[in-house]
Amino acid sequence: MKNLFRNCLYIGRNSYRDKSFLFWVLIYPLILAMFFYIAFSGVMDMELKNIDVGISSESSIEFVLKEVEFLNIYKLPEHEVKERLQNEEIEGFIDDDLNLFVKKSGIRQTIIKEILDQIKQMDSLNVPIENFDFDVDYILDKNQKADTIIIVFYSLIAMVSAYGIFPGIEVTSFIQANLSNIGQRVNITPLKKIDFLLSGTIVSLVLNLLANGLLIGFMKYVLKLDLFTEIKYSLIFILIGNLFGIALGIFIGVSSKQNENVKTILGIVTVLILSFFSGMMSPDIKIMMDQKLPIMGKLNPISIITNNLYKVNLLGNTQNTLEGIIILCIYCMVLSLISYGVLRRKSYDSI
Amino acid sequence: MTVYKYFIKVALKNKGVILSYTILFFILSVINGSTNTQRETNFTESKLDIGIIDNSNSQLSRGLVNYLEKNNNIISTKSDEKYIKEQIFLQIADGVIVIPENFEDKVINKEKAVEIYKDDRKIETYQIQNQINKFILFANATYEDGKFKLWNVNDALDEKVDVNLVISDNNINQRINNWFKTYFNFTSYIILAIYISVIGFVMIEFTDEEIEKRRKISSIKFLKFNQQMYLGQLTIAGFQTLVFILGSIILKGKYIGEVDFFKYVFNTIVFSFSALCFVFLVNNITSNRFVISGISTVLSLGTSFISGVLVPQEILGEKVLTIAKFFPTYYFVKINETNIKSFLDVKYELFMQILFAMAFLLVGLYFSKAKQKQ
Repeated sequence: MKNLFRNCLYIGRNSYRDKSFLFWVLIYPLILAMFFYIAFSGVMDMELKNIDVGISSESSIEFVLKEVEFLNIYKLPEHEVKERLQNEEIEGFIDDDLNLFVKKSGIRQTIIKEILDQIKQMDSLNVPIENFDFDVDYILDKNQKADTIIIVFYSLIAMVSAYGIFPGIEVTSFIQANLSNIGQRVNITPLKKIDFLLSGTIVSLVLNLLANGLLIGFMKYVLKLDLFTEIKYSLIFILIGNLFGIALGIFIGVSSKQNENVKTILGIVTVLILSFFSGMMSPDIKIMMDQKLPIMGKLNPISIITNNLYKVNLLGNTQNTLEGIIILCIYCMVLSLISYGVLRRKSYDSI
Repeated sequence: MTVYKYFIKVALKNKGVILSYTILFFILSVINGSTNTQRETNFTESKLDIGIIDNSNSQLSRGLVNYLEKNNNIISTKSDEKYIKEQIFLQIADGVIVIPENFEDKVINKEKAVEIYKDDRKIETYQIQNQINKFILFANATYEDGKFKLWNVNDALDEKVDVNLVISDNNINQRINNWFKTYFNFTSYIILAIYISVIGFVMIEFTDEEIEKRRKISSIKFLKFNQQMYLGQLTIAGFQTLVFILGSIILKGKYIGEVDFFKYVFNTIVFSFSALCFVFLVNNITSNRFVISGISTVLSLGTSFISGVLVPQEILGEKVLTIAKFFPTYYFVKINETNIKSFLDVKYELFMQILFAMAFLLVGLYFSKAKQKQ
C-alpha cells in the first residue's frame, strides 16, 4: 500500500511537469468548448423567423394572407419583384392570378405555396363557406426540442473523458527501459511492473477526472450550459470513458518503440476521428452514420458515451445504458490484457 | 540546393500530419458531394420526414395517411414515446403523428384529434400542422349523413397553384456553387493547420542550436541558405494548395463552367500566401514543437469556427464576426460566399488578406531581427 502511494506520488509529479499533458488535457478542451459555444450559440437560441412574402398592390388575397401569423406581407411594384427575390429580401411573390414566383425551391417557399394551394382547393371543394370551421385546431401538441447542436458538447465531454490516453501513454514510457530514463531505472529495481501500472492508472484516472470536472464546471458556470440532469448515469459513462482512454493509452504506449510525441499524436488523431464520427464537428455526421452504418455508432466508444449522455440527460431515457457500459468494459479489459501480455517479463539485452 | 533538398526531406517526414488532415478533408468533401448538384430548372416542393402511427385504421385515418404520404417522406417509427422523442431530437423526423383509436369521433366532435411530436421552433412544424388541419377541415366540411366524402376531398387537394422559378442574371448553378463554397471554405482550415504544423516542425530542426552552429561555419551564405529555405516552404505550401485545387477538379470537374471557379482558385492562392506569412511569424516567435502543435490545432480550428468555415457566417453573432475580422480567414470566406461580377466586387476583402500577409511578414521580420541581435 505504501509502495502504491509512493508510486502514485512520483508518477503524478512527472505528469504534472509535462506541459503537453497539461495543455491537451486541461486547456485544449476549454478552448474547444469556448469555440463551440461561440459558433453554435446562434443555432442554440434558434427562433422562428417569419416568411417574407411580396404581393401586388391590388392583391385580392391580402386580407387572407394577413391572417397567417408567420407571414410578413409587403406590397411591391412589379419592377422591384425580381431584384427583391434575387437579393432574398422576400421568399416569394404572389401575383393577382395566384401565381407564385420564387428564386429557389425550399421549405419556406413550399409553405407559401401550400397556403395558396389551400385557397384554390377550398374553391374546388365546392361546399358552402359556412361548412368550414376555421376556429378548430385538431392538433394536440407534444413539443420536443430538436437540438442536435447540443450533441457537440456531449461529444466533447466524451472525447475529453477518453483523454486518459495521454497519461496512459506516459505511464508506459515510465516502465519501459527502451523508452525513457525513468524506465531504465525502474527496470533495475525490484519494483513490479504491475504495481507501477496500477499506480499509473490511478494517477491517470484522478488527473483526467479532475480535467473533466474542470471542463464540466467551465461549461456549467462560465458558458451557462445545463448539460447534466441525470448525475448517476453520466458519472458512470464519464468514469468508464476515462478507463477506456487510459487502457487505450497504455495499449498505444506498449505497441511500438516510437517516441512519446509520435504516440501522443497517434492518440490525438485516434480520439479525434472517433469523436468526429460521434458528431463532435457536426451532428449531421452522427445522424448520417446512424442511418447508413448504425453498427459503427454501437461500437465507436466515443459514440457510446455521447449517445448515452444526451439520452439520459436530455431525453430521460435510460434504456440500453447497460449495453453501452458492457461494450466499454469489454474494450477496457481487452486492451489492458493485451498491453499486460506485451509488457510482462520483458527484458532487454542492451539499451 | 542542399538546404532545399533537406527541407523537403524533413517535411516529408511529417507526412502523417499531412495525410491525416488531407484524408479527413477529402472524406468530408466526398460525403458532402453526394447531395443533388443538378441546376434547378423547376420548383420542387420540400417533402418533410414524417413518422405516422395509425391506431385508428379507419377510412378517415387512412385518407389522412394517404394524403400525407403523397406530400412527404414517411419514415419508420415506433409506438414508444422515448423513441419518438429521440427521432425529433436528432432531427431524423420533422414530426411524428399519432392517430388515436377514436379518431373519427374526435374529428366529428371537433376535438383535438391528432397528437404531433415536433419542435415548435422549426418552420417545418407549420407545414405539418397546416397539412393535417387542412385535411380534417376539408373532411369535416364534407361530412353529411354520417359520412365523409373523401373522394371529393382528395380531388380538391390535388388542385395546385403554378410556381415560377425566377432565373438569376448570372450563369451560376446555385446547388453546385454551394458545394464549391463549402469545399474551398474548408480548405482554409486544413491549409492553416498543415502549414503551421508541417512547416513549423521543419523549421524547428533548422533553427536547432547545433544546426545553426554548423551552418555558421559552413561555406553557404546566409542569404542563399534563407532563399533555399523559403523556396522549400513555398514548395510545400504550393504543393498542398495545388492538391486541394486539383481535388476540386477531380471531384466536380465537370461543373467548373457552372461556377466562378477562377474566383475560388485565386482566393485560395491569396489565402495560402497570407497563411504562409503567418507561419513565418509563428516560426520567428517560437521554435518549441509543443507550442507549434498547440497553435496549429487551436488557431486553425478556432478561426474556422468564428469565421464561418464550420458554421455559416449568418448564424454567427455580430460580436463573433467582429473578432473574426482580425483574421484573414474571415475575408477568405466572405469572398467565397459572394457572387461576383468582377474582382472589383471583393477588392476590399482581397486587399485585407494581402494586408494581413504584409503585417505578418513585418512583425515576423521584427522578431527575426530581435533574435539575430541576441
